[in-house]
Amino acid sequence: MRSTSYRIRPIWSRLAFALAIIGPGIITANVDNDAGGISTYSVAGARYGLGVLWILPLLAVALILVQEMSSRLGIVTGKGLGDLIRESLGVRVTALILGLLLVANWANTVSEFAGVAAASGIFGVSKFLAVPLAGALVWLLVVRGNYRSVERIFLVASAVYLAYVGSGILARPDWTAVARAAVSPRLAWDSGYLVMLVTIIGTTIAPWMQFYQQAAIVDKGLRPAELGWERLDVVVGSLFAIVVAGFIVIACASTLFVHGQAIETAEDAAVALRPLAGSYASTLFAVGLLNASLFAAAILPLSTAYVVCEAFGWEVGVSRTLRQAPTFFGIYTALIVLGAGVVLLPLQSLVRTMIASQTLNGILLPVILVVMLRLINDRRLMGTHVNGRILNVLTWAIVATLVILTAALVVITVFPGSSH
Amino acid sequence: MAYLSELLGKPVVDVDGVRLGRLEDVIASTADALPHPRLSAIVVRSPSRSMVVAMEDVAVLIAPAVSLAKPIDQIRPVEPRPGDLQLAREVLDRQIIDTNGARLVRVNDIEFTRVDHRYFVANVDVGMLGLFRRLGVARAAERLWRRRTESPPGKLTWHAVEFLPGNQPLRLREPASKIEELHPADLAEIISDLSRAEGARLLSALDVETAADALEEIEPDFQASLIDGLTNDRAADVLEAMAPDEAADLVAELEPEKRSELLPLVERDKAEEIAALLQHPEDTAGGIMTTEFLVVADRLTAKEVLDLLRKRADEVGTPYYIYIVDDAGVLTGVLALFDLMIAQPGDHVSDFMNRNVVSVPLLATQDEVARAVAKYNLMAIPVVDDQGRLVGIVTADDALDKIIPTRWKKRLPRLYR
Repeated sequence: MRSTSYRIRPIWSRLAFALAIIGPGIITANVDNDAGGISTYSVAGARYGLGVLWILPLLAVALILVQEMSSRLGIVTGKGLGDLIRESLGVRVTALILGLLLVANWANTVSEFAGVAAASGIFGVSKFLAVPLAGALVWLLVVRGNYRSVERIFLVASAVYLAYVGSGILARPDWTAVARAAVSPRLAWDSGYLVMLVTIIGTTIAPWMQFYQQAAIVDKGLRPAELGWERLDVVVGSLFAIVVAGFIVIACASTLFVHGQAIETAEDAAVALRPLAGSYASTLFAVGLLNASLFAAAILPLSTAYVVCEAFGWEVGVSRTLRQAPTFFGIYTALIVLGAGVVLLPLQSLVRTMIASQTLNGILLPVILVVMLRLINDRRLMGTHVNGRILNVLTWAIVATLVILTAALVVITVFPGSSH
Repeated sequence: MAYLSELLGKPVVDVDGVRLGRLEDVIASTADALPHPRLSAIVVRSPSRSMVVAMEDVAVLIAPAVSLAKPIDQIRPVEPRPGDLQLAREVLDRQIIDTNGARLVRVNDIEFTRVDHRYFVANVDVGMLGLFRRLGVARAAERLWRRRTESPPGKLTWHAVEFLPGNQPLRLREPASKIEELHPADLAEIISDLSRAEGARLLSALDVETAADALEEIEPDFQASLIDGLTNDRAADVLEAMAPDEAADLVAELEPEKRSELLPLVERDKAEEIAALLQHPEDTAGGIMTTEFLVVADRLTAKEVLDLLRKRADEVGTPYYIYIVDDAGVLTGVLALFDLMIAQPGDHVSDFMNRNVVSVPLLATQDEVARAVAKYNLMAIPVVDDQGRLVGIVTADDALDKIIPTRWKKRLPRLYR
């Protein structure tokens, strides 16, 4: 009957199946290049040229390490990160971590809606129309629609980022300079530069990514035997994210930076795409930004509400009514409404708003990493899959670096006079 | 009354006031088969080691410091016994099933009660107050509650909760006994709220009939992944126990390899039925019909039909109608159960059957089927092939599924659970 069965499957579901091979690691990495990410890399390239490029190879290593740990936690325990924190570390730590995550993800949601506003601005649509519309769309999509198939559309549309690779190449950068910049670390006691570094780290290894990826892995029901496959997925996804980030920096460095042009608006950032798209650069940029913003705006509030409610044992799920799951709907709706609402306030600069949220990510990251380290080294949970010594040393080094950078940032902000 | 959260971390001293360490866990024994487990020992953690001290050696439990009844060198550590539950490690903060409310909850705190100098686990706190207590702001929260007249919600008595299989440390009671008393639809909701691995574990712990009933209520794509989590033999048993149309819907969602592994394990009649149902396009009468129905010949008497019904009641699900076919299998009439009840035992079916049968063709759309069911006020509608032969029936709930949107509500992104 296998071959004779002609139960009709719509072509869509067949396509979705083909795309299902794309694993959680690749999906997460793609959402990673969201509105905040694109703005951060663009502004970094425009302001510091190739001078920030060196951090990306290091970040690639760090991203792979962190995301591999999250996938291992998910596969071995079969539980989400929020669940594990609650079950192993108790209510207080859970409340602290999830409280921080809630704030960070709210800030990230703000940046996604700022992305929507910026993109719609290029098309000449008022943000007062576009942002509430996008908020309603996202809310409805998740509560009433079939999110799974829409996710694939977003994912395919993310290929727009490859335009940066083309643009970066067509801008004819000095490749030896690029190669040199990629391996020569540069640190300066300059608050702007330090903020930029923390922001780049925060946007590339955002705290929501560990929660999101682990949830996706648990949901997919991967088993320890598939650890190898999932590692490949994580490595491919992380490298893709970093390569795209690198080319955004290169494209902006070789167009905006050389002309000494700072980025204040989305149109400014679109200039980086001119070598490839010419006069269509703005349109291409707007489409990419809109896709990225909506994609992440659909994921962040929902995954946050799930993580928080699950860890505290509150009713979860869109299938329940408002009355049955008030906290879940409350968090989910509040993130969207407050996220979109902030963008409607008279803001100085949408680009700056997007970037500020990413700085917050960078400051929160070490806290999440310490908790992850604690969990992954718990033999009761992980059995033989605990971290090896080298992995522990490397991850602690990341934590230490982040703490030092953040501390330096605080010092420099409190005592601005000490900067050169 | 005392709470586990208030005991954890308290200093433990012996009868002379010598400090042993801090209280790390409380062990409750379920071996007595009482409705509430008895506290049997405490785990004391000192920087160098941890020690299990029997409750008999504990003089005062509820006090700023837990004090023991003997000097430190006379205390003999006890060994863990079967049926022992480490409350902090194995129960606190875990997900459990509230069997009265039929929902998944998380344990925020555990409440003890004292009866005749012995402590028992009384309640499980799953409410906000328990959370606040853990956060150290219980007083403030209680004051807030007192302003309202109602009592703070969220306390479940111990015998109204059930562990998730897999989180269950040792086989405490009959596995999943209380869970099986839940309504299959409630059970389906609980399973849907769990992760894939946990859901499959829960499904494995249920008896085959309950598992099949619950599985029928779960949305098909999640069904398929749950089946993936079962052993093949178990999955085949569950498929056999499901209604053939539901089983066919599930099989349609499986990967081809999984399908070819499973179907040979399913008992042959059932496998053929499923395979036959799979031949029909999904959204037609054929795709939603079931092949479980009762057919009789028109020469039987009312009494004979009733006897037959009694004998075959298990196989045919809920027979609202009994169908009459001729020797070629062509549908010629229908009997409602009511007709059968009021007929004289000796009456022949052909005398009182309804010859004017409403039926739908195999390829009728689900919409058309639903409309016919609604128009003629039917509980089920027969499906006939192009020669008029009866091939199946569509029950009203399956027909209306598409029209009354109950299913799409369940179709959620699974990504976040």
